[in-house]
Amino acid sequence: MDPTEERNVKAFKRSKEEKKVIRKQIKASHTLLKHEGISTTPHPTESVVVANGGLGNGVSREELLSVLTEAEEVESLFMPPHKPYAFVTYRSVESARRALTQLNGQKLQSEENSITLYLSYVNSVTFEEEKSVPLPEGLVLVEEFVSPDEEAVLLAAIDWLSSNEDVTAQKSLKHRRVKHYGFEFRYDNNNVDKDKPLRAGLPDECLPVLERCVKSGLISIMPDQLTVNQYESGQGIPPHVDTHSAFEETIISLSLGAKTVMEFRHPDGRLVPVVLPGRSLLVMRGESRYLWTHGITPRKFDMVPACSPHSPASDLGTNRNLTLSKRGTRTSFTFRKIRHEPCCCAFPSTCDSQGAASAFSPSPSSPPSLPCCHADATRLEEEYVHRVYNAIASHFSSTRHSPWPSVCHFLSLLPAGSVLADVGCGNGKYLGVNPELITVGCDRSNALVQICVERGFQAFVSDALSVPLRTASCDACISIAVIHHFSTPERRLAAVRELTRILRPKGQALIYVWAFEQEYNKQRSKYLKEQIKEHRQNLSPINNTSDDLQEPHGKSQIHTSEHLEDKCRAVDSMQHISKGTNSKLSVHTNRTAFNTQDLLVPWHLKEGKKQGEEDSGENTKKDKKTSGNSCSPCRMSSKTRIDCNPGSSPSMSCGSDLDTSDATHGPHFKSMPSHDTTKTSNTILKAKPENGQVPVFHRYYHVFQQGELEQLCGQVAGVRVCRSYHDQGNWCVILEKD
Amino acid sequence: MKLLTHNMLTSHVKGVTKGYPLLIKATEVKVNEVEFNPQFVSRMIPKLEWSALVQAAEEDLPGELVADYETNEEFLKKVHRILLEVEVLEGCLQCPESGREFPISRGIPNMLLNEDEA
Repeated sequence: MDPTEERNVKAFKRSKEEKKVIRKQIKASHTLLKHEGISTTPHPTESVVVANGGLGNGVSREELLSVLTEAEEVESLFMPPHKPYAFVTYRSVESARRALTQLNGQKLQSEENSITLYLSYVNSVTFEEEKSVPLPEGLVLVEEFVSPDEEAVLLAAIDWLSSNEDVTAQKSLKHRRVKHYGFEFRYDNNNVDKDKPLRAGLPDECLPVLERCVKSGLISIMPDQLTVNQYESGQGIPPHVDTHSAFEETIISLSLGAKTVMEFRHPDGRLVPVVLPGRSLLVMRGESRYLWTHGITPRKFDMVPACSPHSPASDLGTNRNLTLSKRGTRTSFTFRKIRHEPCCCAFPSTCDSQGAASAFSPSPSSPPSLPCCHADATRLEEEYVHRVYNAIASHFSSTRHSPWPSVCHFLSLLPAGSVLADVGCGNGKYLGVNPELITVGCDRSNALVQICVERGFQAFVSDALSVPLRTASCDACISIAVIHHFSTPERRLAAVRELTRILRPKGQALIYVWAFEQEYNKQRSKYLKEQIKEHRQNLSPINNTSDDLQEPHGKSQIHTSEHLEDKCRAVDSMQHISKGTNSKLSVHTNRTAFNTQDLLVPWHLKEGKKQGEEDSGENTKKDKKTSGNSCSPCRMSSKTRIDCNPGSSPSMSCGSDLDTSDATHGPHFKSMPSHDTTKTSNTILKAKPENGQVPVFHRYYHVFQQGELEQLCGQVAGVRVCRSYHDQGNWCVILEKD
Repeated sequence: MKLLTHNMLTSHVKGVTKGYPLLIKATEVKVNEVEFNPQFVSRMIPKLEWSALVQAAEEDLPGELVADYETNEEFLKKVHRILLEVEVLEGCLQCPESGREFPISRGIPNMLLNEDEA
């Protein structure tokens, strides 16, 4: 090729490249307008938007600045949090012009990704200037509290290997490592054994630091308890308030190693993120110690202010100058003084000495009663349904893997291509039963919805009282074991109304609720039957090993009341179960008959990775025992995702609510006789809580009497009950919309 | 959240009458490979709000359904991709009437309303 030709070919290639870049730049500005409301302009201005150069797509401030400054000097750079773009302002229009020409289509290497930047002019840069958020009352952060040498000495002072197998278990569970000195902090009751000091007192290496604290007036008494926490990237600790009765007011925490972001949450919902740089000391007093929870979200990257001499490290309140900070290993030394008298602070809602029960967050100090108004009902359900399901999601899901045959049957009869909504879908058990359907699930629990999505189903978070689906958009819907969690008849009615609203004319809904009558037609439900078996085995207090037992395996007894007289009789004979005025909700004893309709049912949380396998072992045994046709209606095709080996179910979510391994800060704990733990002894790497103590959660239920569900549905206009039956301890109806 | 799901979702903020369809503001989108089942896709089409799908999809879809779409494999493949393969992982859904944004995180839309919106 002669030189002229070569030049021409090069020019041709170049213009083709240029055209491609321009095309993509136009597309990018299109997207910015459509999705972000950002208008770009073809006329040069001083302000430029950089598409793909944002915190939202993993580009840090430093990375972007280094590319930008290769071209023109930048007057200001604004990177809105979570967005895939940034705004750059130049000194002059000419400067911006030059920058655009040079940088448009430029590639940027961020981590392992190659990102292409597209620049366009914008008329104005708008960003919300948020006010700087003040730190929680009583919180003080002192930076550079120890020198790098002192930091090294302190880190070396911790002998992780000399610890018991707890530390090895923690590491293998990808859990933060914990070690105590002075007194042991117990995670089963969130308190300290004050009568049994540990052999190892605080390490001598800590003395200079503590003396410095006393000298600077940060503390007045020498601490006598130390907890060392080591967090790898991706590890955290759920939000909690340090137990009031265990420790005196002032708590100091020294951060060594990598910086992290600690989040403080006020009961009213305010969230204040605080950057804790390495070698800084955090002092918690007053509200920050007694009222706000603090926690570290398990993450690999935090959004932090870009280092500048003007912005203090703790200033995450404004949106200016943010960047991404990759987490590294952080070790915290938390020093506390053991409290020997009850706490008498000014924050009784979070104070265990003054009656507060839950360590999660402020909760009513007295046992709950049946709500008399909508607001009370919402609060009750929040505490005794929603929070519980979010906390137990993983364990709960592992016990909910066998779809009930009658529900499967209902789903199998739906024509192919039907739109099905599963309201209160839980872990998505029914979402894949009939793959011919267009299914969407919704649940109030984010944690459970996450499990659905991890399994490949479509689900969203919403309340059953207000389902964000269009009226008459579904061919069918199911609501299995949901409505019994609503604490007033009005709310239960509203839930049924929502189900009928989303149905198209002639569409059908299937509703299952827990029955007050666990024995029906002289047949005890499995829920009750297990009690007798356990009683013989253990002669110990009843507790649920797997609530799955309330579900039928094999043949289920379905008694339909098809005769009209039967129906009427059922309604008339509804017993008057004493309620009493302002009745306190009692806690039910699992595996016994119900003696009241409104109650709290305990859930004993089991922890550890191998949880699912243990349950499936039990289950397959049962499957073999019962008739062979147990799940045949459920196996619609080989594509069904319901498998009986929950060991393959997703690992515990890393959301801070779900840190249910040994170091969790959970609510009330009950002791179990030691031989009950033999059922869990075949799990290898389980983080066993001390002394076999296990967290207990209480879920609110309103169990339905015979005929009650039908009567409820009868109050809804435009829908009729076409079938009603009892299925293994549940009352069930099939409704059809007119 | 797949676009099939988006087609079903509506804003349920109190007082809103034109809450459908929700505007998609995506910051992270993924395209998966899903087994193509022409029968399943053609059964889905009559259940959809077609105009809402056209609006949501960035690709060109005909403003109105083509006749005999059941046998038009190319068309069905396009619809299959848009409805079942494109997934919004991060972003939000915006109510067209009130402007209220419902966040999408890890593929999950959070449609919970606050006390005052229900």
